[in-house]
Amino acid sequence: MSGYAIVIGSEELEKVQAASMIAAVAVVSDYELDVFVTMNALTAFEKEVVENRDFKTEGGVGELMLDPDTETQVPLFTEQLEQAKMLGELGIYACTMAMDLQGNTLDDYIDLFDDELGVSGFLGLAEDKEVIFI
Amino acid sequence: MADMEPDETVDSRDSACPGPLMDLVGRIKKSDPGTVLELLTSDEGSKKDVPDWLENTRHDLLEIEDQNGHWAIYVKVN
Repeated sequence: MSGYAIVIGSEELEKVQAASMIAAVAVVSDYELDVFVTMNALTAFEKEVVENRDFKTEGGVGELMLDPDTETQVPLFTEQLEQAKMLGELGIYACTMAMDLQGNTLDDYIDLFDDELGVSGFLGLAEDKEVIFI
Repeated sequence: MADMEPDETVDSRDSACPGPLMDLVGRIKKSDPGTVLELLTSDEGSKKDVPDWLENTRHDLLEIEDQNGHWAIYVKVN
């Protein structure tokens, strides 16, 4: 095992945040890391959604994360992933199938993705890594 | 109060996990060996998370100081 491959399949903010926290800390701890964003999770990365902070939440924690009055501010997953990319090696890939279904291209998403990927491409990346599915 | 005299301070108060750790790592990467950094954090988890990270990455934890509502974590960059 030489690192982790994180699959994010949900657009729920709590899950995307959890994935980005694990990814960020793994990267600065010198683990090899790839993140594959698939299914509805891609929605959370759409430019408009991020701009308007129009995220779907699962419950209390997500709502507190979005509340500007919460005393402790959690850095949004976009900032965490951006910071992680500056500090280490992190590949972030969008699922081609989920993009195609919605008629989207990489331009519809925030500027975090290295590329788009199909399942075979992902399996190649994940071959020697531990897979975390969120 | 400790007698620590840091070369630089990273103020991450009011930022939640993993914000303080990430801010510290960012500064460490830009610092020369021997630099003493002070991380200010109000995130309780940093007291465990930061030492764990330092242990794995060969930098020295000098001291953790309770400063009324937040903590100062002193780190020597190796």
